[in-house]
Amino acid sequence: MEKSLFRFIWKFSARQQIFILLITVLSYPVSYVLLELPKLIVNDAVQGDGFPREILSFEFDQISYLFLLCISFLGLVVVSNGLKLYINVYKGRLGERMLRRLRFELFQRVLRFRLPHFRKVSSGEIIPMITSEVEDVGGFIGEAFALPAYQGGMLVVQLGFIFMQDPLLGLAAISSYPIQGYVIPKLQRKVVQLSRLRVKNVRLIADKVGESITGVPEIHANDAAAWHSADLSDRLYQNFKIRYEIFNRKYFIKFLNNFMNQLTPFFFYLIGGYLVIEGNLSIGALLAVIAAYKDLAGPWKELLAYYQMVADVDVKYQTVVENFDPPDIYPVERLTSDETVELSGDLEMNNVSFSGGAAGQEVADINLKVPEGQSFAVVGPDGSGRSEVLQLAAGLVSPLSGRVCIGSQDLEKLSASTLGREIAYVGGAVHIWTGTIRDNLFYGLRHRPLQEVDREGTKLDDFKRRLSEARETRNPTYDLEAGWEDFLAAGVDDIGGLERRALELLRDVRLEPDIYRLGLQSRFDPTLDDAFAERILAVRAKLGERIASDPQLAGLVELWDIERFNSSASLAENLFFAVPSDPEITMDQVPELEEVRSFLHETGLEDKLQQIGIKIAETMIELFANVSGDSGLLGTYSFITQEELPEFDRIVRIARSGQQRPGLTRADRDKLISLAFKLVPARHRLGVLDEEMQKGVISARAKFHEKVVSKGDSFVAIDPELYLPPLSIEDNLLFGRPRVDRRDARQRIDAVIRTIVEETELREPIVFAGFDYHVGVSGSRLSAGQRRRLALVRGLLKNAKVTILDDIASGMSDEDVALRKILREILEGRTFLFGAPNAAVAKEFSGFIVLEQGRIAEDHGEDA
Amino acid sequence: MSLDTEVEALRKVPLFRGIDETKLRLLAFISDRMEYRSGERLCTQGEEGDSAFIILKGAADVMVQTPEGEKTVAQVSENSIVGEIAILCDVPRTATLIAVNDMDVLTVSKDDFLKLLKEFPEMSLEVMRTLALRLERTTRDLAAAQSGAAA
Repeated sequence: MEKSLFRFIWKFSARQQIFILLITVLSYPVSYVLLELPKLIVNDAVQGDGFPREILSFEFDQISYLFLLCISFLGLVVVSNGLKLYINVYKGRLGERMLRRLRFELFQRVLRFRLPHFRKVSSGEIIPMITSEVEDVGGFIGEAFALPAYQGGMLVVQLGFIFMQDPLLGLAAISSYPIQGYVIPKLQRKVVQLSRLRVKNVRLIADKVGESITGVPEIHANDAAAWHSADLSDRLYQNFKIRYEIFNRKYFIKFLNNFMNQLTPFFFYLIGGYLVIEGNLSIGALLAVIAAYKDLAGPWKELLAYYQMVADVDVKYQTVVENFDPPDIYPVERLTSDETVELSGDLEMNNVSFSGGAAGQEVADINLKVPEGQSFAVVGPDGSGRSEVLQLAAGLVSPLSGRVCIGSQDLEKLSASTLGREIAYVGGAVHIWTGTIRDNLFYGLRHRPLQEVDREGTKLDDFKRRLSEARETRNPTYDLEAGWEDFLAAGVDDIGGLERRALELLRDVRLEPDIYRLGLQSRFDPTLDDAFAERILAVRAKLGERIASDPQLAGLVELWDIERFNSSASLAENLFFAVPSDPEITMDQVPELEEVRSFLHETGLEDKLQQIGIKIAETMIELFANVSGDSGLLGTYSFITQEELPEFDRIVRIARSGQQRPGLTRADRDKLISLAFKLVPARHRLGVLDEEMQKGVISARAKFHEKVVSKGDSFVAIDPELYLPPLSIEDNLLFGRPRVDRRDARQRIDAVIRTIVEETELREPIVFAGFDYHVGVSGSRLSAGQRRRLALVRGLLKNAKVTILDDIASGMSDEDVALRKILREILEGRTFLFGAPNAAVAKEFSGFIVLEQGRIAEDHGEDA
Repeated sequence: MSLDTEVEALRKVPLFRGIDETKLRLLAFISDRMEYRSGERLCTQGEEGDSAFIILKGAADVMVQTPEGEKTVAQVSENSIVGEIAILCDVPRTATLIAVNDMDVLTVSKDDFLKLLKEFPEMSLEVMRTLALRLERTTRDLAAAQSGAAA
């Protein structure tokens, strides 16, 4: 990478820089004339004589001459400002493009780092480098050449004028320049050093913050918050100290400049005055020189500011770039090449040694031969070099000496397009990407965009623009919206086939039941797949029939019936007989909805609900007032949390006092209503809902449907014939609620649902619905075991020639043994390397080696 | 059926006799109210016991495994508490409970009952007194049985 900012700018934008310079120079005469014209208007057109004038063989009298000059003035105003606008936008665009190019280059370099390099750098440091630290560079690029050229030119012109008036005065004008030229860079150098320190310190802060976030359970588990606080606080103090030092020096430079600039007039008055008194200089000339000197101050100030900015931006650029140039960085072709070499033949390692930079990460003299199509175990505890050997075999790390080959191909010489497609590697520490399960399953097949997207009209134009911008900034032109899945590699024809293949593998690794459960709990948009929604509704009907025909089951469920109150559902559901369309709306927010508010008001239910809310709050206060907050009883059973208790205490007291003032605020009333809404009569048994109220609730349903549900789309009615998108698939299957007052009703009903789902062959589509489950940040919504299995399926789905698993299902439990058997069956006929810490698994494989302290201790390969 | 009726029923349980009403209401509130149909199992011998049952309505057969199969040894009915041993110490269920008719039962989970005892020490005292009485009676019965055997 270019070490200096100027070299970077010039290399990638020389043409544009010259263009900016040209436009800037061009704008100079325009602004000069613009300044001169008013004088001409006053002196010549208003006060002048000798009319009519002849211009370009047209005759002008005084009025039309004035008119002509004013119109030209107006024209120049437009031209001058138009040019400014144009050049500013041009500079901004250039800066943004160069910034994009720089950022992309930096990111691509991160991808080109060798794996061991990541032991030395952390994401907490890299992220601010690519995002915020280079930001200033973008703003600077447009000015990089034009500003010094333009302001320098102005300075030279003005100086020339002064020198022409009197060389001595000229010398006086520049008398401070040598001093400034000597002192300021010295001071500036110290500021640059401090800026460097500051940048590094801020990086460290970012890193510490990032580490604290990833390690937050450790902090709490060890009560180390104080230590981390002190650590960060110390860094912040360092930052303050550096910053303060920078301010001091920066403003001192400013002070020095201002002082020097104002010192020069002193010489003017002294030397010029002397010359005038002596008669060697006319007073007019002195005044002209002083005026010229004033004009001189502008460009000089600009140049000094520019100098400081260069120093600042350049140091930022350098402190960033120096981190992205490790000597052993992979060539860019390794990433960008799209050529796949078929890897067939035996996997061989000849005298391979490797060092990860620490003890326990080294291997030496590894000689290994895994015949093509065989399963082979690499055994050794953590730190024995097992993981290193497997990573070497996957081409993820490069040997220090020796060769790793598959067939005739040296892995070191192959590009990522071969290694990442022909070899499937699943390490012990798997990474699950933030996104859906589907994204993660098919991740290993997304190498390049394969199926183009048909675009028309504005979308096409937009796409073309995106492409041309990408080319302009040397970014890749891959289409993110295209189909990326490589069906051919996975051995399927289309997306349906791929999904079915994924399903098979999920079954094999026993992850399918988990995904099925996630699918049941997921929401699904019926507009995407009408047929599926229809099938769910069919199952709902069937389930309803079965429940009706079996008295055992009927006792476990309260089905929705618009004529009957459902004691196992909340009062809100009972009242609305509908659910909010937006599943994110919580019960606390429902009373605040405008349509709900006006409905409750019109039907007079507002007061009744409020009364119920008060009764509930009273009971809760009575029950829990003497219970300590840390017993956990309140949180588990009450509608109210410990923190809310005093608040409700206040509300109840106001309500009971019956006073008009201060009275209950709207927020108080909403709170009471939402409390009432959350009531599930069969569970809470508070006896606050009498027969009459239940009847009132039932009769209000029709009105709610008429007034709210049919009018807008904020609620969806509970209807046997309707799929309810805000509810999960499971809640859509059962048109009712499991009774809360029957033991294990939920589990028993689930079992019935499961059998009906199996009978109707709905299980598969539900699993596919589970594919769209969002796994959270880095798979945080999955368990560690689920993450590992998901990564395993991802690896298997690649259908690669060589599959390498490290510490996956390597235990001796029945489950692991069975999984290993299945894995060998799936990978039958393909090269399969299996890393395990214990030797017991080794005999299941056709060959194995045992590693100890980075060396092969036992070799049970083919030759041995 | 609301909390009030449950509190009435709890008051009749000897174990809770000396405990004041608000605490009984709290106990009732944090318990789960369950219905059992005739023939349904409340718990099975040998299982881990995680809750006690307070019978509000109906009755259940207490059955134990014998070499000759399951045998009914007793019947528990309204206003009695069963399974409380299981929630005070970790022992498996010593008997199976099967509803003989439709029952209403309050189920108190072990965790919540212990929390409640911790919150209200006077409740622990009451529990202790009841258990001590039972122990004293058992000891007397045992002594009587032994002296009877010796005679």
